[in-house]
Amino acid sequence: MTLFDLALKNIRRNMKSYSLYIGSTVFSILIYFTFATLKYSENISGMAETSKQIQGVMGASAFVLVIFVAIFILYSNSFFMKRRKKEVALYSLLGVRKKSIGFLLFFENMVIGLFSLIVGVLLGFLLSRMLLTILLKLMDLNIVAGFAFSLDALLNTCIVFFIIFLFTSLMGYRIIYRFKLIDLFHAEKKGEDVPKVRVITAIIGVAALAAAYYLALQDLFESEAWRLLGLALPIVIIALTVIGSYLLFHSVLIYVLSVLKGNPNWAWKGLHMMTASQLLYRIRGNAKTLTVITVLSATTITSGGAVFGVYYNSDKNVQTYTPYSFMWEGKKQVIDPAIVESEVSFHSKTLRVTQDMNEMEYVVINETAFKSLAKNLNWSEIQKLEEDEVFAIDAYYDERWSDKLESVTINDSNYTVAAFYEKAVFNTGTLGGNALVVPDSLYDKIQSDEKLIQAVQVRDYKNQMATSDRLAAYTENFSSATADYKSAIGSLGALLFVGSFLGLVFLVATGSIIFFKMMTEAEEDKAKYAILHKIGVSKKDMKQTIRGQIGIIFAVPLLLGIIHGSVALAAVSNLLMMDFVVPVMIWMIAYTAIYAVYYVATVRSFTKIIKKGYLE
Amino acid sequence: MEPLLVVKNVEKTYGKGANIFNALQHISFEIDHGEFVGVMGPSGAGKSTLLNVLATIDSPTSGDIFIGTDNIAKMDEEKLADFRRDHLGFIFQDYNLLDSLTVRENILLPLAIAKKKPAEIKKRVEAMAAAFGISNLLEKYPYQISGGQKQRTAASRALISNPKIIFADEPTGALDSKSATDLLESMSSLNEKHEATILMVTHDAYAASFCRRILFIKDGRLSKEIFRGTKTRQEFFQVILDELSQIGGETNDAI
Repeated sequence: MTLFDLALKNIRRNMKSYSLYIGSTVFSILIYFTFATLKYSENISGMAETSKQIQGVMGASAFVLVIFVAIFILYSNSFFMKRRKKEVALYSLLGVRKKSIGFLLFFENMVIGLFSLIVGVLLGFLLSRMLLTILLKLMDLNIVAGFAFSLDALLNTCIVFFIIFLFTSLMGYRIIYRFKLIDLFHAEKKGEDVPKVRVITAIIGVAALAAAYYLALQDLFESEAWRLLGLALPIVIIALTVIGSYLLFHSVLIYVLSVLKGNPNWAWKGLHMMTASQLLYRIRGNAKTLTVITVLSATTITSGGAVFGVYYNSDKNVQTYTPYSFMWEGKKQVIDPAIVESEVSFHSKTLRVTQDMNEMEYVVINETAFKSLAKNLNWSEIQKLEEDEVFAIDAYYDERWSDKLESVTINDSNYTVAAFYEKAVFNTGTLGGNALVVPDSLYDKIQSDEKLIQAVQVRDYKNQMATSDRLAAYTENFSSATADYKSAIGSLGALLFVGSFLGLVFLVATGSIIFFKMMTEAEEDKAKYAILHKIGVSKKDMKQTIRGQIGIIFAVPLLLGIIHGSVALAAVSNLLMMDFVVPVMIWMIAYTAIYAVYYVATVRSFTKIIKKGYLE
Repeated sequence: MEPLLVVKNVEKTYGKGANIFNALQHISFEIDHGEFVGVMGPSGAGKSTLLNVLATIDSPTSGDIFIGTDNIAKMDEEKLADFRRDHLGFIFQDYNLLDSLTVRENILLPLAIAKKKPAEIKKRVEAMAAAFGISNLLEKYPYQISGGQKQRTAASRALISNPKIIFADEPTGALDSKSATDLLESMSSLNEKHEATILMVTHDAYAASFCRRILFIKDGRLSKEIFRGTKTRQEFFQVILDELSQIGGETNDAI
């Protein structure tokens, strides 16, 4: 029997224990192949030709995905290897040479890789179309799925995974050279010293996180940190966050668990001390896993939240600069009366005003027109203009670089600005962002050409494309919220798609990492629960301690991830000047809900393994 | 007085159809309160099966087992867990200690599960540790102590909840003779002073000589029963050796 046969037989016989590892590699390949198919599909590459931005986004995303997939496979591989140390030790004890065992592991891993590649690509081919159609439908995008099988995608996937598998196989080959026979046999039994609480670690951890948060919340345009570090700043922030999270898990979690375990009133009640000591016992490994999960959660929450936030705000964005569904210059047009909510017809003039040496052109409307326009937009509490007062409107006002107009000179007399509005009362596309509202009597005295303007508000403006197109053809200076909304969604579409796709992948992967980890622990802990069963611990108590242990592993990184994500999103929303509270809340709740499903599934599988352990 | 443990016609079979294997056949006996009973027999005779069935870890195919007034052969799984917790203690050959808990925590586990008060738990753990001479090891972890110390920890755990009956499965199997003697002496003193009822499975004549009565089992059936009576331990040891040589058991572990 050749070594290759042995490797093949090994896999066939141990299909069950291999299935977790194979499952995770197949999953990675499936995800990557789907993404590659999308990247090389004609629809997207057609889009990419017109937009360098989309091309960039797709390229960067593919890179992130490769890194992520590589980490994920390395992670599952190392878990898998840990479980097999004993087997390796047995071969070694029976006198198989290290070189041969190394080759065995190498071959075996390559066989698994090849197998997963075939299965992953086949599944990917079948599922990608379905997955993408569902995703597109969910996002209301009109890229009809014409994702044919792409040779480029296949080739790309094969190359990427061949490299990854080669790497993990080499790691497997290395593993037996690093360990001595005696270590291999005692790998699981060796007791670790219970970690000691180090105050200094906790302080450094908290300080690192505080620094990261402080830097993240700096204003992009004004802060010293940005000027000094430039584009390196985000990397510094991420590094500080990762280090801070790790140290925090390493110190604070140990501290809390030690205190709890040392308190008889809590610990000596049922299996509480078991819960605490199990977590404490594995704290070193756990700190690493928890950090990975925290970072993944934070990334998913931030990217998903930002993309969803922008998408959610696109409606509001349109409303900010195009408050009226349609506006145009000229006479009234016929619009289906069933959809019209309100119509305003008014006149406007233009006025040049000299201010601080600059000459600015303002659109001027009278108070009556302003009142009816504002009423339709539900502006409240509009004061009445006195004879020597005007209102000023600047839709593009930004306190960082705009000045507030305080008074203007019209026809050689001075007028005070009674109120300054930072929002548009009409579509900036038709009349521009700067306007003055003057008393009716003054308006009549202003010398300028007069334009007739129509403003219409319709029901369900997002879906009135036909009306919008018709009006655009017949009118001058036409602006339409419908058209603006469509184009905003169109340009956000690819970003949104990539964002949701990656978010989904990260979410599934985060859940899977915890799941795999807990399954490995369940296998290791079987004997412990068998002992508990023998000394009369009820099923209920056992379930409770399992729920507690897994709950901590799930909840703590989620909590920290959400805090990290909130800070990052606060930074992003400051930068884009958008209100993210509602969409981010929705996104976080959705994320937590899916995460909770993973928790329930993990508890269930864990209990099942334990039960099998003590019934044997 | 009512006997503490009554075993009536217990059978245990494995397999199905033509491959049936009778591990236990027509086993009936009684144990009174305060007895120290040994079960001996060659490998594969059914000693461990019998102990597992009596200890509710395994269930008999047929027959009844009464501990006090409870028929444990007819109890469901959840009730059995409570019953084990409240009334039974276990000592196993491979200790079965939880390596993530300290010696103290291992010993107090049954009391914690029974939701006893911390103050009471502390008192009882210390008393029990003193009885087995492991008071100075309470804060150590199992991997830091020797096999004999581990087994004494396990015995402390088994006894801490004042169980009605203690089941010991080859408790000295993995110990050197000094540690084994220490453990057996502790057990026999607990039996004499505190009237703890102990059922011990062993194939070692030396360990068995600490018992008051010995049941021999062969091919799944009870074959013989001998009593120590007024004999000294050394005399009883000789009787056991003679008995073993007659039924062909192993004597190579004898000292």
